[in-house]
Order: sequence, then C-alpha cells, then structure tokens
Amino acid sequence: MIERRRFLTSATAAAAVLAAPPLIRRANAQSVLDIAAVYSLSGTFANVGSALNDGSKWAVEAYGSAGGNKLNYVLLDDRGDAGEAVRKVQEVMTQHGIKHVVGCTNSAIGLAVQKEVHARGGIYVNEAGADEITGKDCNRSSFRWPVACYSAVNSTVRPLIDKFPQAKRWYTITGQYVFGDSLLSNCKQVFQEKGIQHVGNSYHSLSDREYSGYIATALSAAPDVLAVCNFGNQTVDVIRQAVSYGMKRNTKILAVWSTGLDQYQALGPENCDGVYFGCNFWHGVDSPGGRRVAEIVKQKTGDVPNYLHACGYAVAQVLIEGINKAGSTDVPKIIGALEGLSYEGPTGTETVRPQDHQVLKDYYLMLGKAKGAMKDKNDFADVVAATKAFLPPDKTGCTMG
Amino acid sequence: MAGRFPNVATLLVVAALVVMPFVMHTTLATQIVIFATGTLSVTLLLGAVGLLSFGQGLFLGLGAYTCAILLRDHQAGPLTGLVVAMLAGAALALALGALIVRRRGVYFVMLTLAFAQMGYFAMLAFKGVTGGENGLTGLPRTFRVLGLPIESPLSFYVLTTVAFLIVFLLVQRLTASPLGSVLAAIRENEGRSEALGYPVVRYKLAAFTAAGAIAGLAGGLHAVFLGFVPPSDIELEMSQRLLIMAIIGGVGSPAGAFAGSVFYTLVSEALSEIWARWLALIALLLIAIVLFLPGGLWSIGRLVAGRWGGRAGHG
Repeated sequence: MIERRRFLTSATAAAAVLAAPPLIRRANAQSVLDIAAVYSLSGTFANVGSALNDGSKWAVEAYGSAGGNKLNYVLLDDRGDAGEAVRKVQEVMTQHGIKHVVGCTNSAIGLAVQKEVHARGGIYVNEAGADEITGKDCNRSSFRWPVACYSAVNSTVRPLIDKFPQAKRWYTITGQYVFGDSLLSNCKQVFQEKGIQHVGNSYHSLSDREYSGYIATALSAAPDVLAVCNFGNQTVDVIRQAVSYGMKRNTKILAVWSTGLDQYQALGPENCDGVYFGCNFWHGVDSPGGRRVAEIVKQKTGDVPNYLHACGYAVAQVLIEGINKAGSTDVPKIIGALEGLSYEGPTGTETVRPQDHQVLKDYYLMLGKAKGAMKDKNDFADVVAATKAFLPPDKTGCTMG
Repeated sequence: MAGRFPNVATLLVVAALVVMPFVMHTTLATQIVIFATGTLSVTLLLGAVGLLSFGQGLFLGLGAYTCAILLRDHQAGPLTGLVVAMLAGAALALALGALIVRRRGVYFVMLTLAFAQMGYFAMLAFKGVTGGENGLTGLPRTFRVLGLPIESPLSFYVLTTVAFLIVFLLVQRLTASPLGSVLAAIRENEGRSEALGYPVVRYKLAAFTAAGAIAGLAGGLHAVFLGFVPPSDIELEMSQRLLIMAIIGGVGSPAGAFAGSVFYTLVSEALSEIWARWLALIALLLIAIVLFLPGGLWSIGRLVAGRWGGRAGHG
C-alpha cells in the first residue's frame, strides 16, 4: 500500500510534469504586438481605403512577426471622417494600449491622426501626400512613405514644361482640401519660376461629383495644359469629364497625383491615351522589393499590384522594418532605428530621411497609351520620367515639434 | 409632450448613462452622449413646437469652432469654452431665427437648409480661422474642471454626461411647464394660438434660440472630447444626422433624442464594417420607422406600457 506522503509527493511531481509543457510553452510564446491601421472603408474614398487596407494587412500577414513579437492587425474604419478617425485612435491608444499606428485614406485624416498619435506617445507611418505632413506639422512620431506634394509637382509639372516649352498657358482644377491646396501652391511656384501663365483655377469640394461647370470654365480660358490637383475618384471623374468635353484635342491633361493602375482601369485606355499622370508606384518597374510585393499581391488577387496595394504595404513595411532594426517595440527606439534606415521597398532601395521622416523614393511621370499599343491588360502607360525631387530638409519647415 | 417631471424616462436615461461605459468603449459612449445632446436641439424644435430644422449642424459647428478657438488661442478652460459655445449657438440662432421663424412649412425648412450650407462654405472661406477641410487642430488634451483632472476617457465621459443631463432635465422641465404647453399649442394649431393672443413668433424664436444653444453646447463638447474640430461638424450631413437620430428615437419625448443617438451610433458602427454603403441601410431603417413606428423607438416603451395598462415609458 502506497504511503500518504509518497502519494502526495508523486502526485505533485506528476502534476508538475503535466503542467510543465504549457508553462514552458507560455514562457517561450511570442508576445503579440497590435498594429492599428486607420482606413476609410465607407464614405467618399471607400474604394481607396479598402485597397490600402488590403495592402497593409497583407504586409502584416507576410511579415508575421517583428522584433520577436507576433503581429496582430487591428483595423479602424474611420468612415471617411477625420473626427471618427481621431476618436477611434484615442480609443485604441487609451483603452487598448496600442502605440503602433499606420495608414490614412486622405491627408486631412492623416494630419489629424498624426497629431493625435504624437500627443499620446505612439508612432505613426502614413501615406498622406500633403506637404504639411513632413513640413510645418511634422513631429517625431510620424513618418510618411509617399512623396510630398512638392515632389509630385516637381516630378511631373517640371518635366512636362521642359518637354513642351510652347505650352505656356496652364489651368488647374483643385480639390479644396489640404492635399489639393498643397499641389496647387507647388504648381504656382513652378509656374512662376518657369514663366508659365496660370490662366485660372477652379476649386471643387470634397463632396463634388460633377465637374462640367469647372471644365467649361477651363475650356473658356483656352489653356495649353489642364493640371488636375486632387485625389481618388475625383481625379478619375475630372479626367473622364474633361475628355468627354473634347479637352484632349487641344489641351494636354496632367493628373499631378494619380493612384496609377486602378485609376487607369477605371478610366479605360480610351480616356488614358495621351493623358499624363504622376504616380508613386508602377508595377512595371523592376526591383527586389517590388517583386516581393508583386508575389504577395499575385497570391491574394491573381493580378499585379496597384499603387494602393503597394502604398498600404509600404507603410506597414516601414514600421515593421523599424521594429526589426530596433529589436524592440519601444516607440523611441523604433523612431531612432527608422531615422536614416535604408531598405528594399516597393520602388527599389528607399531611405528614411532623419530630418523630416520622409521616405526618399522615385516618383513617376507616366503617359497613357492607346489600346492598340498595350502589351497586356495592365499595360496602360509608359514611364516617361522617374525622379527623386525632394525639398531640402531646411526648406520643409519641419522642426520636429 | 407635456407630462410629469422627472418621470420614468428620466430614470431610464440616467440608468443607461451609468451603464454605457461598462458595456461599450468609453469613447463610443461619449460620442453617443454628445450626439444625443445635439439631437435634443432637433427634438425640442420638432417635438415641442413643430419646427423642422435642417440647420442644427450649423449651430453645432459654430459651437465647436468657438470652443476650440477659446481653448487653443485664449487658454480658456473647458467650462468657459462650453458656456461661450452655447452663447454663440444661441446668438446665431436668435439672429437667424428673427429672419426665418415667421416663415412656415417648407419655406422655414428650406431657409434652415440654406443657412446650413452657408455655414459650411463660410468654414471653407475662412480657413485661416477654421482650418478649412483639414479641421481645427492643436487643442489641449488635458483640462481641470472644478479642480478635477479631465484626462482619461472616463473623465471626458463624465463631463459630457453631466452636461447632457443638465440640458436633458431642462428640456424635460420646459416641455412639462406651462411654456411647453404653449409651444405644444403652437405646434398643433399656430393660427388658433395666435388668435388666442399668444405672441407666436416670440415663442418660436425663444425655442429656436434655445435649440441653437443646445446644439452649440454639443459642438463645444465634441471639440473638447476630440481635441480637434473635424469639418464634418459643420457639414450639412451633420444636420441630417441629428434629424435622422431625432426621428429614429422619436420626437415625442426628450428621451427619444438619447434613444436615437444610441441606436444610430451603434448601428452605424456595426453596419459600416459590413457594407461600405451602410447609409443605405440606415435609410431603410428610417423608412421602416417612419412607416411602422411614427413615434420612433421611444414610443415602443409607451406602446408596451399601454398594452399592459401601465404608464412606464411615458416621456
């Protein structure tokens, strides 16, 4: 008969042995790092937000872990409302302790979230285009992947002026929000410097869908070039309506900021043909980072990546590369690791500029081609120029406040 | 509309306010309370005096910008900001009301709509003051009210809830008072009220001004809560949102404003994750409520109470 003391000892030992694997497993288990992504899945820019969200989510899935932590993707749907974006960021930062945030669907949201994340001690990588993001409103917590408006304008308007020196009369149609205004003010600077006559500008609001009045006004000014300074579906609608008004016959059309493939698909080759576009990413440009994005998107959609996928991917990639380099989830360490970091991004080797937290990368001027000239169903345009045109750090107005 | 005060509705709303931060995110609960405050302004106008305003977003927006500018540029405390936001809403409503309350029916509605649109374009035109489409940023995020720190989401919720409750009780008291009876008489038959000697225009102007003050307060609360004024605060969509919340909740009781805000905010939160065109579903819900539940959600309680022979839910 087994003694009581021996039984208790054996039972305790057995229990310890049985309990050990989960305990050991728990000790070795990766901790989970939540990355919040702020995108508009409804509202005016829902189509943009949805594709950006896909890109960021796929990047988080593809990396899986960072700095020894398993990554968990937390989507915050702002419904296209900057107030809703700020509220949801407040919610996850104060109530869930999330400090790592990516994404925005437009610059107004990016600007608001940037201030919120900074005020609450987080880190934020975004895809806003407005100059203020890495200019006067920059801060230590925020990083931006796409080029600023200055770069977009100087990589498109300047080469086009050089290409067509006789085209002296330019008209602009501008979205009246921070991003549109930034594009416009940069255009005006280039016009002034190059002796271009700015024959007029029409502002439209964020909620406009019908632009025929603006286009009729532009036509009456008889410009040589129509520069479209807006974003998303509004760019597509302005170009489509300008082409349907016959503007392409006598006027060159430039969309200073386009989202590339998805917009070309929406426009179709009949509208794209002969139209110039500025673009942050083009799947036809070969690079190691671009190939990695292409593989991931091919797996998910069976097709090539568009700018929105690449951009969503890129903002998550920047954050994850920073965490990996820092080997830590500590925000100040990640910020330090990101400053000056070079990595293989979707457009080639990309570098984070320490002074204003701008990612230095190419911006493309593209020319839409006719249907007959397309080599495959996605071959809508040729790259005319690839330029890294960035404002010198001391001119950005960024003081890292 | 007139009834006893406080009543069962008062207790139900207070109970819900106590429970909300425990069953949902505190920031979401705060947003519900802020929109409920804004919706009270519509409920007061439409329910008490029968004025359908498409312009309450204008007063909410004005309150938000006024409060934000005071907090950011003049280092005012939140209580000062909120009081001035109310006064700004009231002053604008008094000025506009003097022009439009004499108009009846569709003309009044269209004038409120026109002023709401003008407010939005004024916000864009004066972007040096309002921040334009970017919104007004850079507001302080921590405050002290009566010596107490307002920093955590819960403290913002308490501040918002106290402000809402004060306004809610005042509106309940007003609708249960002799003044509320006169407003109800105007709502039911404006011509006869005038014939009886009531200065109808003054009563309508007083209600319109009070509603402007309430909407201004809601705007001020939104600015304090977000630390930011989004341009959507003064867009026409805000006026529509407040009106939809009021109709969904029911304009027969001030508690309907609270019910409408809870329902709209939670349903939109859930639907937006399911379908990008979630507003279409809200529209369907609105149609269903107008057709089958004209008294709004709050009237369900009254229907149930009526069926059981009790008075529960009476607003």
